Amino acid sequence: MDIGFIVSNAVVLACIYGTLAIGLSITWSSVGLINLAYGFIFALSGYGAWLASQYVTANGIVVLGAGVLTGALGGMLVCALAFIPIHDKPNFTVRGLIATLAISLVGTQALLWFFGPRAKNLPEIFGFWKVHLGGIILTSDKIGNVVTSIAVVTAVLLWMRSSRRGLEIRAMMMNPHAASIVGIGVRKTGFYVMAITGGLAGLAAVLLSQTYYISPFGGLTPMIKGVSIALCGGLGSVRGAVIAAIVLGLNEALTSRLLGGQYVLITQFVLIIVILLIRPRGIAGMLDRAREA
Amino acid sequence: MAGAWRNPLYLWDVEGAEEEIPATPYASPQRVWDEARESKTPMLPVGRLRYYYKWPGHGGALWSRLRYWPTRRRVLNIRGEYNPKTLRREKTIVDKRPIWWALGLLAFMLAPLIMPGGYQNTLLAAGATFSIYAAINLCWMLIIGTAGIYSLASYAVVGAAAFGVSWMSIHLGLPWWALPFVGAGLGLVFGVIIAIPAIRLDGFYYALLTIGLNELCRVYTLQSKQFGSSTGGLYGADSYVPDSWDPFDQQLLSYYACFGLLLLALALYRIIDGRRLGRILKMAPEKREAFAEATGVDYRRARVWVFVVSSVGLGFIGGFYASHYRGVSFSIFGFDTVLLGLAMLVIGGIGRAEGAVVGTAIVIFLDKVMISTGPLRLVLIGLIMLAVVLLLKGGLFGIKAQFRAWRDKKKSERRSIRSEKGGEMLPEEAAETKDKDVLYWRRYDKMQRDFLKTLVSEEVIEEHRKQPLGQHSEPLERLLLYFRRQPLGDKYAITVVQPFKAYRIVAMSGQRGVAPRIVEDKIYASQNEAYHGVFLRRVQDLLES
Repeated sequence: MDIGFIVSNAVVLACIYGTLAIGLSITWSSVGLINLAYGFIFALSGYGAWLASQYVTANGIVVLGAGVLTGALGGMLVCALAFIPIHDKPNFTVRGLIATLAISLVGTQALLWFFGPRAKNLPEIFGFWKVHLGGIILTSDKIGNVVTSIAVVTAVLLWMRSSRRGLEIRAMMMNPHAASIVGIGVRKTGFYVMAITGGLAGLAAVLLSQTYYISPFGGLTPMIKGVSIALCGGLGSVRGAVIAAIVLGLNEALTSRLLGGQYVLITQFVLIIVILLIRPRGIAGMLDRAREA
Repeated sequence: MAGAWRNPLYLWDVEGAEEEIPATPYASPQRVWDEARESKTPMLPVGRLRYYYKWPGHGGALWSRLRYWPTRRRVLNIRGEYNPKTLRREKTIVDKRPIWWALGLLAFMLAPLIMPGGYQNTLLAAGATFSIYAAINLCWMLIIGTAGIYSLASYAVVGAAAFGVSWMSIHLGLPWWALPFVGAGLGLVFGVIIAIPAIRLDGFYYALLTIGLNELCRVYTLQSKQFGSSTGGLYGADSYVPDSWDPFDQQLLSYYACFGLLLLALALYRIIDGRRLGRILKMAPEKREAFAEATGVDYRRARVWVFVVSSVGLGFIGGFYASHYRGVSFSIFGFDTVLLGLAMLVIGGIGRAEGAVVGTAIVIFLDKVMISTGPLRLVLIGLIMLAVVLLLKGGLFGIKAQFRAWRDKKKSERRSIRSEKGGEMLPEEAAETKDKDVLYWRRYDKMQRDFLKTLVSEEVIEEHRKQPLGQHSEPLERLLLYFRRQPLGDKYAITVVQPFKAYRIVAMSGQRGVAPRIVEDKIYASQNEAYHGVFLRRVQDLLES
């Protein structure tokens, strides 16, 4: 085990989990929904990509696109079920949380029923090649994962900064009531947001399936990692999510180097709890600017 | 010919009187009156009282009441009153829930007597499972409902205690009777550890963190050899069920032991939720914490207390769990276990003991009865959970309150539909005017005008053109009487421009000393033509009003 291998792995995982965390973070801050069906969307888009690779073509771009598209559809499904009917009802945050959990239960069991418990694997969408960089061997999937996730997340963030829809989403992040007063449709924007964050989950699913397999319950661990990063960085803050992803990735690399693999989760949660005790809204979260349901 | 009017003056050879002229048939003014008086709005029911059975009074035993130690509370909340009509003493049971609880628990206790032979094993095992899960959910309900801490790590506490206790029983030879108490100690330790972040974190941040803790426990036990990563769990703990008994007696014993655990959990719920801690926390619901704090309620401390005490209870249940199943498997840390537990709470309704117990019964029933359908049964449970969350505010046991709220809303909507206020005035004007008689006069006047509009016809106008003065047919006479009775302001009149040659229509000012204003430039050649011009103008105004 050399340090370069561990660090490169940590960077790859941090990129993928960071993508998930940014998706969760955007969802929470703009529509006020804690999307715990994210793991289900993740698994669903993995299966979508798998179906595309089986029945259409194993071309990398097509598979990636199919995953992102399925993820977006899954996000819109969650929006239609858990956001549209109850977003203006009392106790929305709790009910939305429970509704997404219910969707997750139904969805993963349906996937299990439909596809069976056997794990599937996707084709290598980035091909097979290697780069030697100062003694570290970087394989194609690592470079592809990092580059793709950073590129897509950057594109999404740029789109949110510069486009009309992005302006609407940011307005809703700041103050949903005021946004609806000035004519930004809460439901319509909710669909955009959930489609985009679902697409990010789909992207993460396809990228992670280069390392792991696709299974009905395979979305749970990535979702929990994403949630941890989003929590740690401050829900609603993209910058915080990036910092938290780096911190937790470093922690993972160091722990597995110094203590051993089975202590990774323990040190990770101790770290998160310590960070949250110091800053209850996460690294970049502000107490007073937190979204009040 | 619709109808004709015979002039009675014709027989006396009055000038200009024709024998018979066409006229509209008689229409009764009563019809307009009746139409206006009848209500057009549907008379929707707005009343309906709540029904309570009225028990007869106590008679001589008016003041003897059953109270239970150590409080001075009564078993049932009974309201005594005198019937205002018959003046007889009556009793109303305001809260019947204790009766349902007693009946339900009695039925559960007696259920093994009537279980059909073939299913006895399954049903006894399912009953024991139900009792354990109901006990866990009651403690969890204390955390979520009473303390308002969205902790999803309750099964993690149970599982941690169960794993710890099993390990001790296997390796240190702990006897079965010590397991729940050692488990309670472990629960205390875990509860305190988990409670530390709850001091600073808000609801959802904490929920997300506890999901992570749950996963941490699962992954840790799954990877560690000490906790039996190879066998799927840790088995071989000492059990309270003696091996020498025959299987049916063993099952029966475990059924009643679990029932006893359920009763203990209910007592814990009652003691915490119904007494000081619960009362304090009911004063500080979500979003009103600041108010509670300002009035001197230390809700944070109460929350942490409830959390720690429930964790001790969960640890106790964990120890019992280990001695019941002779061990524990990893599945207790699974995300699906948490989801199913949450489904139990949500379906029953968060914040009430009956919700936890009945929700558990429903989910366990679906889970055990439909076990042959595989994942579909979990899909069904998830769908029920989704429907409950989307449609109901407080789960199954909140249906009553929700239905009543909905019915009250409908009632008030109907009340507002039923009342017609203001009549011919705008509602604000009607409320502000001092002379309420004006309202009724305007209403009457409108009815009159509605009727007179029906009388205007070609025949009437033709009759008036021929003979503006003198005897007229009945409809024309009604019209003219109405026109003549109008107040002087803006009333039409004719003025002489040149006697017998030129006349003109003017309108009165209605004020002494102010001259009438000229209405139009048209010059009429004779008085009768001018009269008819006035009539036409008035008919026009009537039809336009």
